[in-house]
Amino acid sequence: MSEPTNIREGKMVDLSLKKPAASAAHPDAVESGGPPGPGGRRGRSAPELAALLIVLVALIIFFWIKSPFFMTKDNILNVLTAIAVTGIIAVPGTMLLIAGQVDLSVGSGAAFCGVMMATTAQSQAIIVGVLVAVGMGILIGLVNGILVTVFRVNALIATLGMLAVLRGLTEVRANGGTVTLANFSGLGTARPFLSIPVPVLLLIGIVIIAVLVMRYTVFGRSLYATGSNPVAARLVGVRGSKMIVLAFVASGLGVALSGLILDSQLSAASPNAATGLELTVVTAIVLGGASLAGGRGTIQGTVVGLLIIGVLNNGLTLLNVNSFYQQVASGALLIIAVSFDQLRLRLAKA
Amino acid sequence: MPSSTPEPVPAFTLRARGIRKSFGGTEVLHSVDVDIVGGRVLALLGENGAGKSTLVRVVAGAHAPDRGTLEFPKPDGDVETVTGLDPLAARKRGIRMIFQELSDAADLTVAENISLGHWPARAGIVSWRGMRHRAQQVLSSMGVDLDLGAAVGELRIGERQVVEIARALSDEATCLILDEPTAALSAEEVERLFGFVRRLRDRGVALVYITHRLDEVAAIADDVVVLRDGAVSASGPAREFQRSQLVTAMVGREIGAVARPPASAGEPGPVVLAFRRATSLRGFADLDLTVRAGEIVCLYGKVGSGTAEVADAVFGRRQLSGGTLKIQDLPPARNPRAAIDHGVGYLAADRQGEGALMTRTVAENLAAPSWPRLSRFGLINADQERRPFDRWRSALDIRAAGGPEQLLASLSGGNQQKVLLARWLERGSKLLALVEPTRGVDVGARADIYAALRELAGTGTAILVATSDYEEVVQLADRAVVLARGRVTRELQGDEITTEALTDAAGG
Repeated sequence: MSEPTNIREGKMVDLSLKKPAASAAHPDAVESGGPPGPGGRRGRSAPELAALLIVLVALIIFFWIKSPFFMTKDNILNVLTAIAVTGIIAVPGTMLLIAGQVDLSVGSGAAFCGVMMATTAQSQAIIVGVLVAVGMGILIGLVNGILVTVFRVNALIATLGMLAVLRGLTEVRANGGTVTLANFSGLGTARPFLSIPVPVLLLIGIVIIAVLVMRYTVFGRSLYATGSNPVAARLVGVRGSKMIVLAFVASGLGVALSGLILDSQLSAASPNAATGLELTVVTAIVLGGASLAGGRGTIQGTVVGLLIIGVLNNGLTLLNVNSFYQQVASGALLIIAVSFDQLRLRLAKA
Repeated sequence: MPSSTPEPVPAFTLRARGIRKSFGGTEVLHSVDVDIVGGRVLALLGENGAGKSTLVRVVAGAHAPDRGTLEFPKPDGDVETVTGLDPLAARKRGIRMIFQELSDAADLTVAENISLGHWPARAGIVSWRGMRHRAQQVLSSMGVDLDLGAAVGELRIGERQVVEIARALSDEATCLILDEPTAALSAEEVERLFGFVRRLRDRGVALVYITHRLDEVAAIADDVVVLRDGAVSASGPAREFQRSQLVTAMVGREIGAVARPPASAGEPGPVVLAFRRATSLRGFADLDLTVRAGEIVCLYGKVGSGTAEVADAVFGRRQLSGGTLKIQDLPPARNPRAAIDHGVGYLAADRQGEGALMTRTVAENLAAPSWPRLSRFGLINADQERRPFDRWRSALDIRAAGGPEQLLASLSGGNQQKVLLARWLERGSKLLALVEPTRGVDVGARADIYAALRELAGTGTAILVATSDYEEVVQLADRAVVLARGRVTRELQGDEITTEALTDAAGG
C-alpha cells in the first residue's frame, strides 16, 4: 500500500525539494534549541490540558452562579448524556486526527446506520438490525480508509463525499420519513449503574480503552508516528496505511454505535438525525489539543473539549439563550480552537 | 557573458551591538557584536545551536532582539540607531536573506519567481513583459542562462538557488545573507556560486555567508565571525586565521584535521551486500559493488550522481530494472519494512522530511523500528521503550537535557542524527545504508558519529555511506567508489583516498 498524505501537506515530501515555504521561514528549532516544554512528561500536552481544564472550571463556576439548576445531579447527567453520542465518535476521531486524517462522514454515517437498523428491525429480529448497523459502520470505515490510503484521496474530500453519499442513501432507505422502532429503548435510556445512562457508561469505557490503546499499543504509537511524519514512519517500518484503515474502521464502529443510541433514545430513526455532528466532533477534538497537522493530541484532551462544549450548550440553554446563538457559539468555538492550534504550532517552532 | 563594469550599489554598513535574544527562557545570544560592511564577505561560523541563524534573523528583521541595537551609519557621519527591525523595515534597508531551504514557489516560472513579492505593476496590474524583461536583465548580469518560462520546481537545486539570488538582486539588495548556501550544491555549482558572491562583493553588496565548511572560508571570506554558545568566540579578517584556530573557536576544543583513519586491524568478513551489473532507471547503471562485514564503503559523487539511489535500492525504496542485488545472499527487499526485517538500517539525506518524528519524544524516535521486539501482542511496555535510549545515550553522547521524554524537535541537528542512527543500533542492523549521514551536523557531533561508525564496523557491521562530502569520505572510508551520472568512474582503496582523487573522479 502506498503512503497516505497528511491533510495539510497535500503532497508527499519529495526529497526536500518542495518544502512548504513556511518551513524555510521558521526560526529553525535546531538553532534556538532550548529545553522542552515545562514539566510535561508527555511533551507539551500536560500544560495545555491544564489550561483547558481551567477554561472548563471557569465555565462551570459561571453557570453554577448564574443558574440554580446547573449543579444538580440530573443536569450533570444531562450534560454527560448530551456529549455521549458525540464523544463515542470523537474518541476514534481523535485517533484519526493524530494520524493526520479526518472523518467528516460521521454525522450522516450515524443517521445511515440508525435507519439501516430500524428498517431491518421492521422485518427481522432486533439483533439482526444491530448487526446490520455495525456491519455498515465497519464497511463505511473500510471504504473511507481504502480511499485515503490506496487511492490516496485527501481525507477531507473522501469523507466529505461520503457524507453526501450516506445522507442521500439514508433518505432513500427511509423513504424520506422517520422509521419508528419499538422495544429498543434500553441502549439509550436505561440507567443500570448509579442511575447513569448506558451511553455515558459506554463513553467512559471507550475513553479508558482508547487512552490505553494510544499509549501502550503499537497501533497507537504507529498513529502518532505516521501523523508526525508519514515518510519517516514508513522508513522505520511503521505500517502507517494499515493503521489508518484500522482507525477509520474504529471511527465507523463509533458511528454505528452512535446511530444505535440515537435510535434507542428516540424509539425511531430519522434520516435527518445527527446533521452537522461532524462540526461538533471536530471542534471537540481540536479544542482538546489534537493538531490538524497530525502527530499531536490526546484522548484526555478530547474529553475535556467535549465537556467544554457540553457545559457551554447546557448552560446557555439554562440561561434561555436562543438556540440559534448556541450555533453561533459552537462555530466560534471551532474557529477559536483552530486558531489556538496554529498559535501553538508557531510557538512550538519559536 | 556580459563583462560590463559592475554597477555599484548604495553604501551599506550595519553595526549590531550587544544583541541578546532568548527563546522560552533560554538565552541563545549573549550580547553579540557584529559588523556587516558593503563590499566585503563576512563568513559566519559556528556549530549548530551556536546562534548563527538567530543572529542573522535579527539582522533580517525576522526576530526582534531582547536587548542591543542595530546602528546604521549614514554618509554624512550621523548614525541611525534602532532597537530592532521588522521584516518590512529590513527590506527597505536592502537586507535580503536566502534561506537554507528553498523558499521559492515551485509551480511558478523562473520569471515569476524572480519578481515574487515585488511584481512590476502599475495600479495593481502586473506587467508580464516587465517581469520577463527584469528576469532577463538580472540573470544576464549574473551570467546565467535559464529558461524564463520553466517552472522552478523542474530545475536542479543549484539552479533554484540561482533564481532565489536573482530575486534578491532584482529587488535591490544591498545586504545579502546566505544561510549555508552550498549544502546541496555540486562542486561545479559551488564554484559558480562563489563567482556570484565575488561579483556582488565587487559591486559593493554586503554579504553574510553562513557555513560549516572551513575550506569555503578560505575561498570566499574577507572577514570571519565565529559564534560559540551564543557568544562571539573569534572575529577578524579571514586571512589572520588558520583552519585549526577556527575549529577551536567553533567547538572550544582541538579536533584533528582531516585525517585518514588507521587501517582496519582485521580482515573484512563475508560479503554482506553485492550489486552485480545492477541498473535502476533514472538512478544508476551497470553497478558492481560489494560491501563486506566490518567494512565502511563510501559511495562518493555529486548530488544527483546516483549515490543516494544506490542506498535507496539497498533499503527497498527503489527497485532494480536490471542486474542483481543480494543482501546476505537474499534477493533485495520489496519495501523498507522488509529491508528492516532483513537487518538493513537506513538514514535519509533529508533528516527533517524523511527521518525525524519531530513531534514525538526522543525515546519513541529511537525505539520505533524495534517496536516489534519491544511489544507483546501489540502492547508496548513504556518502561521498556525508554531503555534503548538509556543504552545508547552515553555510547553516542546524545545530549538531551530533558531525558527520554524530551521532544526530538528540541534537540540540535547533530543530536537528532545520533538518535536516528541509534535506531538501527538498537535494531541490531547488520548492514547500514546511510545517505549524507552528517549533513547539517556540527563538527563535534560529526566526530562522534564517525567514531560510532568505526566502532560498529569493528564489530562486524557492513556500512555503505552515500555522500557528496569528500572530507567525509577521506575520514571514514575503507574503500571509496566514485559515481558520476549513475556510473562508477573509480574505486579507491586506503591511502589512494584523497580529496584530489575523489573530486577528480567525480568531476566528469
